[in-house]
Amino acid sequence: MVKEVITSPKTGDSCIHVKHSSGLDIYICEMKGFSSVEALFGTKYGSINTMFRQKGDKDYTTVPEGIAHFLEHKLFENEDCDVFELYAKTGASGNAFTSFDKTAYLFSCSKNYQESLRILLDFVQKPYFTQATVDKEQGIIGQEIKMTNDNPEWRVFFNMLRCMYHEHPVKIDIAGTVESIAQIDADLLYKCYHTFYNLNNMVLSIAGNISADEVLAICDECLKPCEDKGLETVFPEEPDTIVQKELIEKQPVGASIFNIGYKCTDCRSEERLVKSMQASIAASILSDASSDMYQRLLKEGIINSSFGTEIFTGDGYFTVIFSGESDSPAVVRDAVADEVDRMIREGVCEKDFQRIKKSTYGMLVRELNNVESVANLMMNSHMEETGPYDAITVLSEMTCEDVLEFMKTELKRDKLVMSVIEGM
Amino acid sequence: MRYKRTELAGNIGFSSIIDEKFKTGSLTVRFITELSGELATANALGVGVLSSSSSKYKTLALLNEKLSSLYGAALSTFSRKRGDVQILGLTSSWIVNKYAIDGEDVNAEMLDMIRGCIFEPNAENGEFDAESFAITKKDLLDRIDAELNNKRGYALSRAAEIAFSGEPAEFSCYGTKEAASTITSAEAYKAYRRLLETAQIEIYYIAPEEEPKVLEMFKESFANVNRNSGSIEFCRISPAKPETITVADEYDVLQCKMVMSFKSDSDDIFALKMLSTIFGETPVSKLFLNVREKLSLCYYCACRYTSPKGTIMVDIGVERDNIEKSKAEILHQLDEICSGNVTDEEIQSALLSLDNALTQIGDTPASYSGWYFERFCDGRIKTPQEQFEDYSNVTKERIIEAAKTLRLDSVYLMLDKKGEA
Repeated sequence: MVKEVITSPKTGDSCIHVKHSSGLDIYICEMKGFSSVEALFGTKYGSINTMFRQKGDKDYTTVPEGIAHFLEHKLFENEDCDVFELYAKTGASGNAFTSFDKTAYLFSCSKNYQESLRILLDFVQKPYFTQATVDKEQGIIGQEIKMTNDNPEWRVFFNMLRCMYHEHPVKIDIAGTVESIAQIDADLLYKCYHTFYNLNNMVLSIAGNISADEVLAICDECLKPCEDKGLETVFPEEPDTIVQKELIEKQPVGASIFNIGYKCTDCRSEERLVKSMQASIAASILSDASSDMYQRLLKEGIINSSFGTEIFTGDGYFTVIFSGESDSPAVVRDAVADEVDRMIREGVCEKDFQRIKKSTYGMLVRELNNVESVANLMMNSHMEETGPYDAITVLSEMTCEDVLEFMKTELKRDKLVMSVIEGM
Repeated sequence: MRYKRTELAGNIGFSSIIDEKFKTGSLTVRFITELSGELATANALGVGVLSSSSSKYKTLALLNEKLSSLYGAALSTFSRKRGDVQILGLTSSWIVNKYAIDGEDVNAEMLDMIRGCIFEPNAENGEFDAESFAITKKDLLDRIDAELNNKRGYALSRAAEIAFSGEPAEFSCYGTKEAASTITSAEAYKAYRRLLETAQIEIYYIAPEEEPKVLEMFKESFANVNRNSGSIEFCRISPAKPETITVADEYDVLQCKMVMSFKSDSDDIFALKMLSTIFGETPVSKLFLNVREKLSLCYYCACRYTSPKGTIMVDIGVERDNIEKSKAEILHQLDEICSGNVTDEEIQSALLSLDNALTQIGDTPASYSGWYFERFCDGRIKTPQEQFEDYSNVTKERIIEAAKTLRLDSVYLMLDKKGEA
């Protein structure tokens, strides 16, 4: 077991990282004065991981869309009971989520965290699937898929990804489709489980009113050592180009919504963190609520206060997104592209850059003020192969020129797409 | 943590909550008034303009520029509904001086900005600045339109309209699109002045350290306001309709929604909350285990208890063909409780779940503010631990009695169009 204390040089916050002998990475943050505990047990396995192999496998295995999410649902059932029944005895609130590149099981509680942690570590390491329980879940997930397809925010986002990506599985719905989940059976679930739920591919993150020694003792007691099986995931080759410039869909909505996105070059680890921070600052300088572009569009009644930006990135994808409500989304798209061109031509205002940098710093400090955020931060940064406090350091070293360079190399008109959901 | 509420003047309360663990300061000012179909929109607009400019920061751009230079401090306004009452307000948070890398006095700057927004809004000759008003008005109109975008939320709002028809709670906290389209800047300003002068006002300051200047600022500023405030009735139980009514709308959706509104005339609010928790508020509730897990009818089927109206609403997303089956199962599960089918284990897990939620109060500034405001509305300030004791004292018999008082008032259905054929 290797233990290190990680400290933020800017705020003084610290946490402990342990490489446990079982193969699991563990992050612990004792937060004085807080009552609650947030724990996440996550695996680097999300909806995009549909092709994989392990050491010794000759060929890659391809699995149906939505299987990571299906597996998340099914892991909540033990052989003898439902996991929620176990949490009900400790009072913890248990849950789980599957995203594009991860699945995490979590609980939040304010008492008996030790027992809840044992439940979490135990059930995630103890799969139990039968065809009958798999069949039962089809109806529940089928309704979840229909619910999300009725959600225009969800649709507009996936339609944008479909405009951008030819092959990368980021364009597929996290839960899959009613047809794709029909192909899932117990054997496939076990195969995916044994591939991705290897402790060498997982992380435990726990923050709040806890004792690091207690947490580690429980980990020693509950974790079953795992052999690193050399997991390898691959993605189909993705062309640099976009698929189509725009996609407009009609749905019963009261207000039309849009996602406008630049397809950028993907990268990994620290490079991704640096580039994400540059992208985030670039997007804010271009369009935050005090920017010229935002003010002009607002005064003309083209956008409203729902307008915002997001950096969406993971293995094999990197996008800068502008979203909101508008009856004239093409005007917004053109304004964004024109503003990018103008800044590339005229340069980024140093004063604006410093202001946005400060604002971003404030946001990062606030994140450390909340038990749930800290637990998520530690898990996410580990999965991104960076440290929990690296963002503040990267920010402090960033220059105006870095941001301008990002705009020049990544925000290109021929990589700009627009997705719109408008009323029927 | 140190909590103290000071009465500043008639019906103005200032609550200070000091907790050393926080890195932020936050301030929330709530204006509380009777929800009225006539005034809801003007109130929402009148308060809404406050976060778009002030007499010092004349435009939204200047205001936002200042906020971002203060380390991304947040300032926004809101309008909400709590039973028959409209709660409007302004809320703000910022990182405290200790974390300001350039040594700015962020606390003082934010206090000055909030004072300006509330007491020196960007208004002249009895109306708000035209540009600030126009931006806020468009935002409100769009927000009303966008309610349909969230199908589950929209179904719940429609169900409330139907269940509380003829009562103030039937109205939206944003009012109507028609009112928002025609209202003038002068009318919105008049509405804001009326709130400033007549509403119950509750202020919450949450920070790691005491700051007497905050209380002083509000005291001095309100000394210049001619106050004439009446009392607010926070709880008004809604009577059940003599016969259950069903209302259906059709939309081009893939999944239908059903909301069943049950009403109770019981004043045993702790038993009703325990009942609601056991019935459908957790993943071990009767609705989750039976309607979702056993019958696989849905992804979600849950309930929520609205104590100011004595109402429990059950909502579910379901196939059209399964609506009747779901409804029958929901009613069956309620019947089970009425017939005494509530185990000690169910009661215990409901208590643990409530205890868990209550003990976490205080881990965020918003949870402190929300807790003490809710208790103010209840008419008795108490700690989360005291509230837990009230739940602990609820017996199985009280839960069963509370269940027996529930009447199905109305059912709202959002149907897909496929069923027409």
